[in-house]
Amino acid sequence: MSVSLQTLGARPQAPLSQKPFHQWTFPNGTEWTLFYRLNSGYLLRFPDLADFEVSRDGRIAAVWPAPGVSPGTVEHLHLNQVLPLALSRQGRLVLHASAVEIDGKGVAFTGESGRGKSTLAASFATTGSRFLTDDGLQLDWLDGQCRITPSHPSVRLWEDSQDALIPQAVDLAPAVEYTTKARLLAGDAMVFCDQSQPLRRVYFLGEGVGQSLIIEAVQPAEALMQLVRNSFLLDIEEKELLAWHFDEMVRLAELPIYYRLDYPRCYEDLPHVRGAIIRHVLDEES
Amino acid sequence: MKLSDKVTISAQVMARVVGDETVILDLASGTYYGLDMVGARMWQLMTEGQTLAQVCETMLAEYEVSSEDIERDVLALVQTLLEKQLVSADV
Repeated sequence: MSVSLQTLGARPQAPLSQKPFHQWTFPNGTEWTLFYRLNSGYLLRFPDLADFEVSRDGRIAAVWPAPGVSPGTVEHLHLNQVLPLALSRQGRLVLHASAVEIDGKGVAFTGESGRGKSTLAASFATTGSRFLTDDGLQLDWLDGQCRITPSHPSVRLWEDSQDALIPQAVDLAPAVEYTTKARLLAGDAMVFCDQSQPLRRVYFLGEGVGQSLIIEAVQPAEALMQLVRNSFLLDIEEKELLAWHFDEMVRLAELPIYYRLDYPRCYEDLPHVRGAIIRHVLDEES
Repeated sequence: MKLSDKVTISAQVMARVVGDETVILDLASGTYYGLDMVGARMWQLMTEGQTLAQVCETMLAEYEVSSEDIERDVLALVQTLLEKQLVSADV
């Protein structure tokens, strides 16, 4: 399943008479995304950037860039914001999480923005492992096993992480208007895994205020709430979809794979963090 | 509420046992609630149609607590569930 995107001509964002049913704002209160219902589905408005219309079933999207907005910005918005939400309308499970493949096992990292999901993914992908996604983690059940479906072969990083982790051989996508994060493209120096992997670990990332690395098991009910908190779901007011999503979250939460992971955020310590994660992933499999 | 009363689970509520706990989703508001093991057992008994007095009696048989403590805890839980509109009184 995928989302068919049609890019239309640039057009100014006309005021709408209806109020959004939902919105995302930045910590400073600036509007980031406004959600409107249409007869045909949904309008996702990124003020001064683009309007995306998504069909009710999530299979078709159309975008009108605001005047002067680059194609790279539109692609960035589609990949990182609209696509995960559209997939949720298709009945797909999508988490705010990065994921890597370690010895044939899918390992996910989830948590609030800024906790280090992408940094960990890039750190593994540039040191012998492979990454499956840096956000918008897609999960699918196959023969009773939960599997990670690979997403787009790129990782977005802030400049400091890029400087600390990424060899100069890694290619960049064009810059975008609304963020200084760079999109780094997979290649020989930052390796992408294009095959689905069984989900074996989910680590909920802490704030990094402690003095040492910790890994602690998380009980199913707490895991459920974390999964809910970190899911993409377009239109949480639609009860049928919300009910379906709840049961899917319960099914996921019952897997014995959830841990809290926290560590001091220091680039020099990443080899130690990676080593601890690898040992933890491999230990319980033997 | 009196101990002779029962409660009815609201139509928009989903409840699932997850590990030792029960997680409740209010579809009307999109709000999630968690009940620990003791609360989950009280919820299960209430949703089986028992009166609050019967719930207390069952809990007394399963936990080493006084009847006063159980009655207080059951009524407190019911009060919270009523306030959140997760149940309605079936008097």
